[in-house]
Amino acid sequence: MTSRLSRRDLLKRTAALSLLGSAGSFAADVAAMSTVAAQLDEYRALVCLFLLGGNDHTNLLVPTDTETYAEYAAARPSIALQRDTLAATDLGPTASQGGRSFALHPSLAGIRQLYLDADAAIVANVGPLIVPTTVSQYLAGSVALPPKLRSHNDQQSAWQARQASGEGAHLGWGGSLADRLMNTNSSNVFTAVSTSGRPLFLSGSSIAPFQMSTSGGLNLKPAGASLYGSARGSVVYQQMLTAGRAHLFEDEISAVTRRSLDANARLRTSLPPAGSLSPALPANNLLAAQLHVVARTIAAQTGLGTNRQVFFVGLGGFDTHDQLVPQQNALLRQVDTAVTAFWSWLGQLGRRSQVVLFTASDFGRALASNGDGSDHGWGAHHLVIGGDVNGGTIYGDVPPAAFGSSVDVGNGVFVPTISVDQYAARLGRWFGVSAADLDLVLPNLQAFDPDALISLF
Amino acid sequence: MSGTVDYPNPDAGEAARFLSQATFGPTAAEIDRLRQLGYGAWLDEQFALPASPIHQTVVKTRSRPQEELLNSFWRQAATGQDQVRQRLAFSYSQIFVVSMISSAVNFYPLGVASYLDLLGASAYGTYRALLEGVTRHPMMGLYLSHLGNQKEDAEGYQVPDQNFAREIMQLFSIGLYELNPDGSIRLIAGDPIETYRTEDVVGLSRVFTGFSWAGTDKSKARFTQRLLAHKADEVVRPMEAYPQFHSVLEKHFLGVTIPPGQIDPDADLAVALDTLAAHPNVGPFIGRQLIQRLVTSNPSPAYVSRVSTAFDTGRYASGSWSTGTGARGDLQALAAAVLLDPEARARPDIGDTRTGRVREPVLRLANWMRAFNVRSSSGGFRIGRTDVGLAGLGQSPLYAPSVFNFYRPGYTPQNAAIADAGLVAPELQITDEASVLGYANFLYGAISSGVGISRDLKADYSAEIAIAHDPDLLIGRMNLLLTGNTLSTATLAMIRDAVVAIAMPTRNQTSARQRRVWTAALFTLSSPDYLVQK
Repeated sequence: MTSRLSRRDLLKRTAALSLLGSAGSFAADVAAMSTVAAQLDEYRALVCLFLLGGNDHTNLLVPTDTETYAEYAAARPSIALQRDTLAATDLGPTASQGGRSFALHPSLAGIRQLYLDADAAIVANVGPLIVPTTVSQYLAGSVALPPKLRSHNDQQSAWQARQASGEGAHLGWGGSLADRLMNTNSSNVFTAVSTSGRPLFLSGSSIAPFQMSTSGGLNLKPAGASLYGSARGSVVYQQMLTAGRAHLFEDEISAVTRRSLDANARLRTSLPPAGSLSPALPANNLLAAQLHVVARTIAAQTGLGTNRQVFFVGLGGFDTHDQLVPQQNALLRQVDTAVTAFWSWLGQLGRRSQVVLFTASDFGRALASNGDGSDHGWGAHHLVIGGDVNGGTIYGDVPPAAFGSSVDVGNGVFVPTISVDQYAARLGRWFGVSAADLDLVLPNLQAFDPDALISLF
Repeated sequence: MSGTVDYPNPDAGEAARFLSQATFGPTAAEIDRLRQLGYGAWLDEQFALPASPIHQTVVKTRSRPQEELLNSFWRQAATGQDQVRQRLAFSYSQIFVVSMISSAVNFYPLGVASYLDLLGASAYGTYRALLEGVTRHPMMGLYLSHLGNQKEDAEGYQVPDQNFAREIMQLFSIGLYELNPDGSIRLIAGDPIETYRTEDVVGLSRVFTGFSWAGTDKSKARFTQRLLAHKADEVVRPMEAYPQFHSVLEKHFLGVTIPPGQIDPDADLAVALDTLAAHPNVGPFIGRQLIQRLVTSNPSPAYVSRVSTAFDTGRYASGSWSTGTGARGDLQALAAAVLLDPEARARPDIGDTRTGRVREPVLRLANWMRAFNVRSSSGGFRIGRTDVGLAGLGQSPLYAPSVFNFYRPGYTPQNAAIADAGLVAPELQITDEASVLGYANFLYGAISSGVGISRDLKADYSAEIAIAHDPDLLIGRMNLLLTGNTLSTATLAMIRDAVVAIAMPTRNQTSARQRRVWTAALFTLSSPDYLVQK
């Protein structure tokens, strides 16, 4: 709370000084102060687990009281989870929700245990917003909204961008948080690491995502000792691949190759062997393979020169318009297996309180059934897992699984009651970014209460 | 179809450049043929080749259908005569995406083979016919879940699935914002105008109810059936109407209203597709993407505008040569407009820093296959997937991660001068620190040992081996066949350096000649000059 006050003071002073025309030097002051303010001596990492396609959040967190379950079951003909399947993942009555009871999806038994151990928390009804928004404001079109709600690519972007922007945005909040703390790293090659494409989330002004193979450090075979038997060939080959270029596309390809060769050489020497982590990598699990190399990278943080890291891992297939129940069962089982293995690896490495894994997704899905699936929604429930997390509870308000609630904009699509900016701000605070810097990273944050999730850590 | 295009018959380099845009890659023989015929007559010849259900014919008769679907794609890309049709089909497969990544679709490789055949067969027809073919294809129905999509229930709890209604507008026809004919976003008072809103998605979703597998009866059991025999006839037949599952509510979308009580799904579908196909966005929206797939990532507004005009008028003329029926959305006219535009045919200036497109990995492998007359040891063209594993190509045709394709038309790499220059480079979305090494490693093995299952496909380098004693002849041939003579002098010098480093003994030259050819091919196919098709 005191940090909040000082942040407001800083903002006032920033505004005052801007009027005097000396904002530049003051920005440097703010940056210096923020570095002092944060506790940056200990390693920290954020891991964004993106559920690509839009996870059905209503079946992620199911109400289990007699009345609330009946309401849920009535609202979701043919796609409601059967009540008896929820017993093993029951979370019990939840004080923050007026004593209502919930169960996690039956596939999430391992994560449910983390929740009971207070290492996992649920954040209810999060989604992209520009300003706090009510149903009537939405229906009247009287407030600014993120562009192209319910469109996959645009909402993936809105979740990852600094300002809830649609496709084409340039700065993501993960990379931008890392921008603020990059000076605490001796090298920034591995500050933002993706195992799933080139996500907007990791793009900062200075920080760029590094795409890591799930096997760790790669070799360039033709640039080894010889190229088809010619030592000279292998030397010239590497020169050709890495030389700077005038054509912008060619130059980008060369730049990526240069980065790749340097970085992979360092990974080959720094990462602990894959077999050093216990338990062994679960088979046939794309997400576990990603989190496995993330754990190896975290283990190598000293050698890699990173004190602050942001990771992006992804799992596709959540666009369950069809076959929702069997598809989500299988996907969340993969998530549960992968995340619990990751938790074991972090335990082995002694890093549980230095890492926070959180989920994100294109959007939630509508409460309404379309026969055997659900359609694109907006707000959704998400998981936050880590040793520092004040887990075992639900933050925010879980809307009733019923039509016509105060957050239902139609078909049971929920207007978010916690903005992605608030979610990002709390994660960013834990990461070590100062309150003042959060306003720079998240320009829309000022419209929201930044302390809505203050108790999460 | 006759007459003479505006361009003289091309030289070898120009012919190779054109073939990089219009086909799966130049061959020495095709370069010669194009130089003899000129662009117009060569295109006429291609346009005259009939469509055939080649992919489903192959997949139907073989075991391992998932693999055979890919084998068939590559066989046709490497050796098919109907190069323009197949290249367009591949391009359309990246706009009207159906992906074998989806488990629902993956079960039916025969269905996906017929979808690829449909895209090929539709490539010289009209956009309206293509859109209907795509909409009614059961693989699209499974992929975007409008197969078996039901009307709302009486209680109002269940609503039609909105998936296809949304994506047909966002991705297959009109896009998100109103466009000018030159592809730029129309602004009113500085703001873009959305083409549709949630209400339009809801209205259109009611149209796409009551369609499922073709069949003699229209029973509920057939309508809701998920699993058929994987080679059942239904998986290649257009979906049919089941009126009892069709929404009878009012259907309001894009300014059109179908009144309540309408029970004929086919009639409603016709209204919806007519409305979409007539929308002024389609020409610039689809046309610009086709330019990006074939020619350049950043066409000028004037280029897009000329292509839109060909789409709208259904005709395209260059000199006294022309093509197209005059029907709106004639895709033959569209393809010709993309390929024969002055901007496509102009050689990039020396020192140009922004023209062209990054060749996607599938095209790179196809280029290699065609340039070096690749042969299948088993006769089965056994390639299978090329996107898995560390030394993989990093892309398999028909395996896009989502309906948003392998990359987005507006993708720009961050923290790069490309973004600062306001350019897009879609294919760079799958160019990253892992894939660049994967590609180089893939090539290294492919060039010397072949590709595919048990290295089934091997190149025939006999023409190159014959000239390998002469570095300049060898490199010149690689430069022509693979890049249309667009390697920079710096790159040429480096390739020469590596080639001459392999000494040519006076006797027993076989190994040295082979290694020189491999080296020249590896360098050329890895060079950033080649990777950016100019």
